[in-house]
Amino acid sequence: MNQITKEMRDLARELLASGEVKGLIGWTKGSRWYLTPPLFITRPEEAEQLYFDQFAVNNLTGLLLDYRYGDDKIALFVKGCDSRGIVRLLQDHQIKREKVLVIGVPCMGMSDKKAVTDPRQPVELPLLDKCLECRYPNPVIADRLIGGALVSGEPSEPKGLTASEAAKRGVGSKQADRFAQVKAIEAMSADEKYAFWQAQHEKCLRCYACRNICPACNCRECIFESDKKGWVNKSATPTDNAFFAVTRAMHVAGRCVECGECERVCPMDIPIMALNRKVIQDINELFGESDAGTDLDGKMPLGLFKNDDPEEFM
Amino acid sequence: MSAVDNPKQPAKEWEPNIVGFACNWCTYAGADLAGLSRMQYPPNVKLVRVPCSGRTNPQFVLRAFQKGADAVLVAGCHPGDCHYATGNYFTRRRYLLMQRMLEFMGIDPRRFQARWISGSEAPKFRDVVTQMTEEIKALGPNRKLREEI
Repeated sequence: MNQITKEMRDLARELLASGEVKGLIGWTKGSRWYLTPPLFITRPEEAEQLYFDQFAVNNLTGLLLDYRYGDDKIALFVKGCDSRGIVRLLQDHQIKREKVLVIGVPCMGMSDKKAVTDPRQPVELPLLDKCLECRYPNPVIADRLIGGALVSGEPSEPKGLTASEAAKRGVGSKQADRFAQVKAIEAMSADEKYAFWQAQHEKCLRCYACRNICPACNCRECIFESDKKGWVNKSATPTDNAFFAVTRAMHVAGRCVECGECERVCPMDIPIMALNRKVIQDINELFGESDAGTDLDGKMPLGLFKNDDPEEFM
Repeated sequence: MSAVDNPKQPAKEWEPNIVGFACNWCTYAGADLAGLSRMQYPPNVKLVRVPCSGRTNPQFVLRAFQKGADAVLVAGCHPGDCHYATGNYFTRRRYLLMQRMLEFMGIDPRRFQARWISGSEAPKFRDVVTQMTEEIKALGPNRKLREEI
């Protein structure tokens, strides 16, 4: 058992036993060596099930939406990328600050379980692309910290117990390539772009996994589930899937915290982050650099304007 | 069934189908003035009156393309002239992104345009619609994002 897991269990036991929180969301070891799924616990003795390793990739912040109407205080663990989701939910007034206890953990970079070839044979796996591109390996917001984690609201180097391991595995080593895929698609001709995206949208199943995991997708009622919107089709045809993809990207425009979970959970491997990154790149170019979900007082780019914004519509 | 819903055009000569979202206070009044002044402009643009250009949801644009529009125009008051003080500033930010997003999806950026046309700018309305119709005629019909029936 690693040191972070031990500290996790101790803290969880303490918080639940003292009644400071009614529930706690963390990770547990799954049925395979490469699975560390989310875990909900309410009793101190259940803390023994908590676990943290390089497969605890799930962003738990979206799960807080299940508790948004409750009165109970919930604790949850966040890695650097997840913590921006907390800021997202607070800024969107989805959760109350006093109803959530954020526990920051250091991150060694998450492994890509898609590289598993033999489910019975544990091997060293490569990092997820989103971890190679990571700019916020430390929590941006936290009430408690374990494993030597440090709070940092700025892009920073990995800190805490796993700092050397993270550096060795190359967390954040490809930050500069963040927009590489966007640039590659932009370099295509219009028809190539369309063919590329049609091929992607043909795969979409409309399972809405990308929406369900997303801390920015926190509408009380999603437009794609409303039966009163006659002009939103639910069929999984390429054109309606394109409609869904663009609508989703525009809904999270300026609010996407780049946790990359949408793309990771997609069962059809659609490059969803390419759309999000395209919007982020354009926002940075047009309205000035900003990182959503890093500053509680930060304003959302599409929720404000400047008189001297670029003018192309004269 | 509106003309937008029916993609079947007469076979003889193809004419562009342009959907225009016009703000009630400026562009719609400008279009009205163009009519009152007996200005000639192509009948290819179908105006949808919206309370403010900021009311135009990006999904309206996508839906228009799905239902057979060859181009979409969003038009409202000049920045600083919004009836609701700031609506068009948000429109400007939103559609700067939307236009780039459509281009990213492979749609010619000329097929989506936004313009500021005030209530007294009837000649500008005429010119914008005329120019856009000419451009789209040259581009040809849009099949991208179109709903297959």
